[in-house]
Amino acid sequence: MSLKTVINVQHAYKTYDSLQAVTDLSFAVDQGRCFAFLGPNGAGKTTMMKMLYAKARRDPRPETVMQVFGYDPQYQELAIKNVCGVVPQDDNLDVELDVRQNLRIFSRFYDMSAVRAQERIASLLDFMELGDKKRSPIRELSGGMKRRLIIARALLNEPRLLILDEPTTGLDPQVRQLIWDKIRSLQKSNVTVLLTTHYMEEAYQLADTILIIDKGIKVLEGNPHTLLDEYIESHVIEILDKTRTAGLPAPLLRKARKEESGERMLFYSEQIDVIHGIADKLPRGSFFIRQTNLEDLFLKITGRKLHATQ
Amino acid sequence: MQHSRNTYPPLWIRIGSVWFRHMRVYSRNLISNGLPPFLEPLIFLVGIGLGLGLDLGDIYGIPYPLFLGAGLFMTASMFTASFECTFGTFIRLEFDKVYDGMLAAPVSANNLLIGEILWAGSKGFFFSLCVLIAISVALLVLHVDNLFSSFLIVFIPFFGFINGVMFGAFSLLVTSFVKNINHFNFYFTGFLSPMFFFSGVVFPVGNLPPVLRQLAEVFPLTHTVRFVRAFCLAGLHGKYPRMDAAYLIRPELLWDAAYIIVFVLLMSYLAVTRLKKRLID
Repeated sequence: MSLKTVINVQHAYKTYDSLQAVTDLSFAVDQGRCFAFLGPNGAGKTTMMKMLYAKARRDPRPETVMQVFGYDPQYQELAIKNVCGVVPQDDNLDVELDVRQNLRIFSRFYDMSAVRAQERIASLLDFMELGDKKRSPIRELSGGMKRRLIIARALLNEPRLLILDEPTTGLDPQVRQLIWDKIRSLQKSNVTVLLTTHYMEEAYQLADTILIIDKGIKVLEGNPHTLLDEYIESHVIEILDKTRTAGLPAPLLRKARKEESGERMLFYSEQIDVIHGIADKLPRGSFFIRQTNLEDLFLKITGRKLHATQ
Repeated sequence: MQHSRNTYPPLWIRIGSVWFRHMRVYSRNLISNGLPPFLEPLIFLVGIGLGLGLDLGDIYGIPYPLFLGAGLFMTASMFTASFECTFGTFIRLEFDKVYDGMLAAPVSANNLLIGEILWAGSKGFFFSLCVLIAISVALLVLHVDNLFSSFLIVFIPFFGFINGVMFGAFSLLVTSFVKNINHFNFYFTGFLSPMFFFSGVVFPVGNLPPVLRQLAEVFPLTHTVRFVRAFCLAGLHGKYPRMDAAYLIRPELLWDAAYIIVFVLLMSYLAVTRLKKRLID
């Protein structure tokens, strides 16, 4: 374990009654890096995050190692929580209070002096572009503002690790871009970021390393760009109505990898010529060609059908 | 790695900030939240204590409104503390998800739940103080008598606190079993309302049939009411020499004290242990 390792997890397990939520998960995150968990709903991403700040208790197993800044969440949760900021999946602001009061109440948990709390709150509201909402009641905030406020709250104690559970789910593109920018600028000041998402673009934009997890098991781990190169063809043609593929010449189709998804048919290939060859035989507007992205990789790895837990 | 002592805030800050959060949120709507627990005992005192009580004259050796008034401080504390740690806790836990946010700060589930119980105690303190002032004024205005005849009544809010802690802890334990918010109705109608009538608030426990008398000794409210009545009426003994000695400060109160201490410790332990499982996955 290098000195710069912030999170070190070896062989983590978590069982809820009869559900095995996390199975033998191992990973490490270095300081200043952004590490993303990617997986369908119910894959175990949130559970893994919660185990790191003792919101969930891991299965007691002798082989399990779990350390955050060298602290074990099971025995030293307070030391961990003091240097971590957590943005949970659900908004949990105090709706009876206004924006500033929400932050003031939270500053107490960190034993901040009133003066310091005031400075911190002013600078965080500016940072999250909520400066003019200081006195707004929570119920008057939009979803995006609430999310930004929760991020501001997580940053109160200048955390060295920021844990974000689906930070931009349900937000419009502008807010999403803004939040991504803020996360990047935090990373520049050496804050380590751990995030879960099912937006492939989010992972691609932010993460140095992604870990694809499905049914509690690690499926793939690596740099998103490298994973794309290694595990999926570079181009795809999406045919919107799969019945149109019936008349296509079989030798041509054999050069591509076929995937069916509902009404659509997708052909993946490393060679753009193959893709264009297929396109030439189809009427205009019945298909589109694009580069593959993490979503294709993700669907290839985790399958296109829904699991029971989704 | 070295773990220095100052890696997180001290215990009293952690528990205190939970308390502070509740206080700030509650005091935002103080009038609408605080009026019913303040007015209900007054209505009861005027309606029953005066309406019926003046006809009764002196019973148990003292005017009835005095007897009743001395019990109502604790019922005010009981109801506010119980509401806080049933509906209040349940809503924070299941609907508002407030605890999820708090547990991301350097606060443990134990700290949080102890803060919860102490907050219930503080509400018991506050409301028994409010009701004490209001009832004293009412009794004075209506020329019944003056409760302020003994300095000992300054202890009433502290009993209100202890009573609030007691019902806060017990209500948290009840909450740990409840999955559906409507089930609290069983607790309020099935447990707290009978306690109101059978714990010596409205009439002495000694008037109950023997079986119910034993049951009344099990009720937590019986013990705090006995304490408070003793502290209220102690100064009036000279004025009402026929007053039952059972309402005065006497060594038997140590049994009540022992009951209260054991009850608080046991219920707090059970409540924290059980509810922690709902806070931590």
